[in-house]
Amino acid sequence: MDSLVEALLNGDQARSIDETRKLRNAGAGIERIVVEGIGRAMDRLDGKCTIEQFNLLEIMLVGRAAMGVIKELFPAGGSGTPARGTVIVCSLEGDVHDIGKNILKMILTAKGYKVIDCGKDCQVDKLVEAAGQHGADAICISGLITTVVPQVRTVRDLAEKRGIGHVRILAGGAALKQATAQDLRVDFVADTAFDAARFLESAVAVQAV
Amino acid sequence: MRSLDRIKAAINLEPTDRLPVIAQIFAHTALIAGKSIREYVLCGRQLAECQVKALERYGCDAVFAFMDANIETEALGSKIAYRLNDYPYVQSHAFTKSTNLEAVPIPDPSNAGRMPEILKGLGIMRRELGDEVLVVGCVLGPMTLVTQLVGMETALYLAIDDPDGFEKLLDFATRVIIRFGAAQIEAGAHLPLLFDPSASMAVIPASFFREFELPRLTRIIKAFQSAGALAGWLHIAGPITPVLPLLAQTGANVINFDYCVDPDEVLRMKSRLCFNGNIKSLDFEIAEDEEIFDEALRLKKLFSARRGFVLSSGCEIPPGSRPENIEAMVAAAHSER
Repeated sequence: MDSLVEALLNGDQARSIDETRKLRNAGAGIERIVVEGIGRAMDRLDGKCTIEQFNLLEIMLVGRAAMGVIKELFPAGGSGTPARGTVIVCSLEGDVHDIGKNILKMILTAKGYKVIDCGKDCQVDKLVEAAGQHGADAICISGLITTVVPQVRTVRDLAEKRGIGHVRILAGGAALKQATAQDLRVDFVADTAFDAARFLESAVAVQAV
Repeated sequence: MRSLDRIKAAINLEPTDRLPVIAQIFAHTALIAGKSIREYVLCGRQLAECQVKALERYGCDAVFAFMDANIETEALGSKIAYRLNDYPYVQSHAFTKSTNLEAVPIPDPSNAGRMPEILKGLGIMRRELGDEVLVVGCVLGPMTLVTQLVGMETALYLAIDDPDGFEKLLDFATRVIIRFGAAQIEAGAHLPLLFDPSASMAVIPASFFREFELPRLTRIIKAFQSAGALAGWLHIAGPITPVLPLLAQTGANVINFDYCVDPDEVLRMKSRLCFNGNIKSLDFEIAEDEEIFDEALRLKKLFSARRGFVLSSGCEIPPGSRPENIEAMVAAAHSER
């Protein structure tokens, strides 16, 4: 398992898949590979990624390797195991940048969440509709441009109006992380994708109690 | 003291009559002039008119011929989608990771895409303003131009999967930038600002910056200085603290630092660089003018003993910012306090 964790942290997708096959051939269960392999790699990456030392390149490489392993384990798609929660991710209307959203999607998927991707340039109405339709635990909005701030502020009201006011709302990305949760009327503003994952781990667990 | 002389003195770490101040405003200048962003980004004449009007209103020390971050990539064939009151964006990228770069000519700034509009805007502003204020052009840095040419994810994966191919792209981008920047100087810019947000530590590690980015930034700044630029001005938005010492090696004279960079780290640098920064951009939209004034004053006091400081935002002031917040920043620069 250590070899898989190391391959993942090196962002080496081919070797990660190779190590996964070796583990499967040796009788390791899927859940063990997810928890002790991908999970441990994600935890170690999380520990390494402070605000000062968080760069897209490293995260993307580890994310790509983890996605390769997930595809190897679940070729038909899905995780085959109960998800830790359902999360909607998007960039809002007018924001056509999706790199931050894609990173978050990779990390949350690797951590065992069911992630519904509403894409970039997404209208608030469609976002809230998707959250209701999928019984989401949280909505994560990634924003690279400041012009989406007014839209972010409307998400909570619309969610309450649609009867899903309990859904946690998170914001992040270069533009949105300059604001406070109060400014944006959200539950949490994440500095990094791992920061968002940590909040979700506690928030979704609290909800389940 | 004229604005241009004030900026020159700051660059040379000499005393100034007051703290120089610049507002990094682009589409904002269109909105306060009653124009659409679409009009502003499509026409050099409109850009010049909006920038000059904003200069009259705010009284800063520089104007900018910056439309959006898609000028170079559009000139090379990327398809751009224009919006009425938002910046345009790349709808489809010009290159793939396997594009044969040897078959692609370096764009001629006199006729490629909107490059001639930028040159036109610079010419109008320089004729109108002469050497009163700093007339700033703008080019993307190599890392950012590569991400604009093939897309961010493709660019970053390419850097790891095919480093030779990635370096060829960076070198191609460098040639595009040098030609466009030199044309801007010829058209009237005192200097082209080198804007490279994709080279920040939010995107790439410092070791990657040192290996891939540093030599090309150095080459570009040297080429601009040979072409007559008043100074080399480097703007990498986001976290750059780990590479601050490397930035001094690029030959740049002015370094922009964003809100997430601790000014104390900048002050600790023993260099003859001039710095500009670093009020949080979003605050111009959501904060009160008193807060902006206080923050500007804090920076002014922090850098008062050093010289070589230009007060500004950390990155672009958002288009929808409150004018009174920009006025508050300028007022702090003018203040006796």
